[in-house]
Amino acid sequence: MTAPLEGIRVLDLTQGVTGPFATKHFSDYGAEVIKVERPGRGDLSRRLGPFPGDRPSLERSGMFLTLNTGKQSVTLDLKTATGQQILRRLAEDADIVVESFRPGTLERLGLGPDVLREVNPRASLVRISNFGQSGPYRDFDADDMLMYAMGGVLAVTAGEGREPVKIGLYAPLFLAGNVVSAFMMGAFFGARRRGLGERADISIHEVLAGSMDRGGTNLVSYGYSGALYFEPRQPQRSSALPAGVYPCLDGYIHILCQFQWWPRFCKLIERPDLENDDYLSPNLLDINYAPEVDAIFFPWLLQRTKQEAMEAGQAVGLPIAAINTMQDVLNDPQLNAREFFVDVEHPEAGHVRLPGVPLRMSGTPGELRRAPLLGEHTFQVLTERLGYDAEDVARLEQQGVI
Amino acid sequence: MTQHTDRMLPLEGVRVLSQAIVWAGPFGTMILSDLGADVIEVESIQHLNPTRAAVRHLPDLFMQSPTGAGYLNRDNSEGFWNRSATFNYAKRGHRSITLDLLRPEGLELFYSLVREADVFLENNAADVVEDLKIDWPQLSAINPRLIMVRFPGFGISGPYKHFKGYGATMEAIVGHTMLRGYRDSDPSATPPIYHGDPTAGATVAFAIQSALYARERTGEGQLIELSQGEAIVHHLSYALMDAFMNERIHDHWGNRHPWMAPYGLFPCRGDDRWLALAVDSDAAFEALCREMGRPELAAEPRFADVSSRYRNQDILEPLIADWTREHDDRDLMERLQAVGVMATMLAHQPEMFHDPQLQHRGYFIELDHPDTGPRRYPGPLAHFEVSPLTPVRGRAPRLGEHNREVLQGLLGLDDARYQHLVDEQLIGDVYLENAR
Repeated sequence: MTAPLEGIRVLDLTQGVTGPFATKHFSDYGAEVIKVERPGRGDLSRRLGPFPGDRPSLERSGMFLTLNTGKQSVTLDLKTATGQQILRRLAEDADIVVESFRPGTLERLGLGPDVLREVNPRASLVRISNFGQSGPYRDFDADDMLMYAMGGVLAVTAGEGREPVKIGLYAPLFLAGNVVSAFMMGAFFGARRRGLGERADISIHEVLAGSMDRGGTNLVSYGYSGALYFEPRQPQRSSALPAGVYPCLDGYIHILCQFQWWPRFCKLIERPDLENDDYLSPNLLDINYAPEVDAIFFPWLLQRTKQEAMEAGQAVGLPIAAINTMQDVLNDPQLNAREFFVDVEHPEAGHVRLPGVPLRMSGTPGELRRAPLLGEHTFQVLTERLGYDAEDVARLEQQGVI
Repeated sequence: MTQHTDRMLPLEGVRVLSQAIVWAGPFGTMILSDLGADVIEVESIQHLNPTRAAVRHLPDLFMQSPTGAGYLNRDNSEGFWNRSATFNYAKRGHRSITLDLLRPEGLELFYSLVREADVFLENNAADVVEDLKIDWPQLSAINPRLIMVRFPGFGISGPYKHFKGYGATMEAIVGHTMLRGYRDSDPSATPPIYHGDPTAGATVAFAIQSALYARERTGEGQLIELSQGEAIVHHLSYALMDAFMNERIHDHWGNRHPWMAPYGLFPCRGDDRWLALAVDSDAAFEALCREMGRPELAAEPRFADVSSRYRNQDILEPLIADWTREHDDRDLMERLQAVGVMATMLAHQPEMFHDPQLQHRGYFIELDHPDTGPRRYPGPLAHFEVSPLTPVRGRAPRLGEHNREVLQGLLGLDDARYQHLVDEQLIGDVYLENAR
């Protein structure tokens, strides 16, 4: 069995989170991904951490190690004419060139869309940026929280009387990476059909604005009814049915009990008498009755751990979830039963545990291979792919090009 | 169905049968449809896709709640299933047929469709396809070139296989909920924004195309399985790697950052107006202080370098807020960006339709629909120059709108057989609310 994307060549000029996460999908599923990094510094994520023992090192950053599995690292100083010349040669047999420089930079580095067309008309160019390659915000700089703020969803996260609050660190950029990987495949298919490389312009701003995290729904609902589907500072609960976060014996659980599931809830807390209770049943959609429902629920919860409450809820078909810490996640029975985490050996970082490939393909499975050292494949790529000899490479190294 | 004879979209000719439900599935099929795939939504008049209706009976009280805004003018009268904002957004360009898969005749028709399909994608609960006899062993025997994608919440194996879950359930179990919320609060402040749904949907859109490419070489289809929970874990890599490498357990940090300071949301002039600020260097901090008219702050030992600023955030934040409060969010964004400080305003969705950037890029598209009239939607999430993705394939389908087109056009059923299916309520275009 071979990996699904075997034979696809990606020239990866991205750094940080979004681009590398997109191209990680390609390398984990068998494409050849050549990652171009700055000599001496490398990808920004080599400095993001976390680092084992909190000791910074370009080769031991947790973010880099997980985002760049299976890629080949080639160092190139793209500010030099020779570096740019090597870059163009690398583009000659690429199927997809993907970049996440500030808009306009790729042109200055001598591989703009028109140059790529000449060098390799079949190669698709996928350009990732914060706000797109055009428009008044084109040159704005931003990180994950700022992009999330501009995407419109952050506003909705505000709690009663408070400021909005962001989601997990870098998570919006990972999502953009998922979306980019899907459109990179689309660009690749389109280019093969037409025999002409696609030019794709992907704005993280637009991806987040239309996301199905409810952002897109909110926008469309506003056009449908003049109001948002989720309003900022909206109570998490709009009825008496149990919904949201509740404390339990050793932490918290989340529950979502829909109207039609009230009988299941009654079964869960061993109160079948409440199913058709004259007082509560007719009033389940009235938020004013919430304290009374909670008063019945709390004693049951306070006798159970989050794991026990989750299992009991799920056994009757009620979506109850343990609110887990990352330690719980590393020990989670489900993830471990499915052997989700993969241990890889890395020459500098040692034994590293990584989240495994999320897609399980019966015919052409993916594979997680360790991330490269900075410039690890420079010699190999320059000699084997581009025909330089050892002396050429030594000279380039001396000149600081590689 | 609109035919685009003048252009060829990347996935034109790829036929996808979809039971992409709720939120995650539709995000995936929207991407596939925008790329040109012929996505046929296999629905049922006995059971509505929850994307068409969040609650089966849509009571009046529900319609008055905020989520009632997801239906045109909060109207729950007959035909509400064709007026769902989420469905009509994500299912644009799809075709809709109805089949009652619980009856042998409906099942046989589904099998016939499988013979004509490249992909079958579903994110029902883990045992639904087995119960319906449309699981992988059966369908691959009918069509060995079929690519089947299953992505229930936790995958199709393991002790949580049958767990019932929505976005919130998944995110809690895989640790995201714990990472969100205010520093001074328990995780109950977690807002109803579910990051896992689009994550899974987009991952599946990538997977399907990968399998289509592999099939060119192998000649065979395959089963692809995705656990939505596992897909989200990747997004939490920073906290995950810190837990593994350093046994450091992160909880909710509010809007703080592991190494940048000052960092967070600062109040601006007006109601609920905020500046999102991320200072990543001494130079950026100096520029910020100059804009604040307080250049001396950057020289103070307590703020002079990043570790001092990080330690003294509690002192620094109110000083910045005193300044931001006196200014407009958009003005501050433009001023600070001009001097190299990462800052944006907090966008409010009702105003995004007029956002200069989104307008400049033609982000919003308008689609007319017989049940809603013309409405605006976010356009395709990428701009392609050679094979432009706009206009999209078309509006979202009404329930069962393409029954005749698909069952007669594609499967060749004659008029009598078609009428029989209608009479027997195997197909239709009206939701049978109390059918089962």
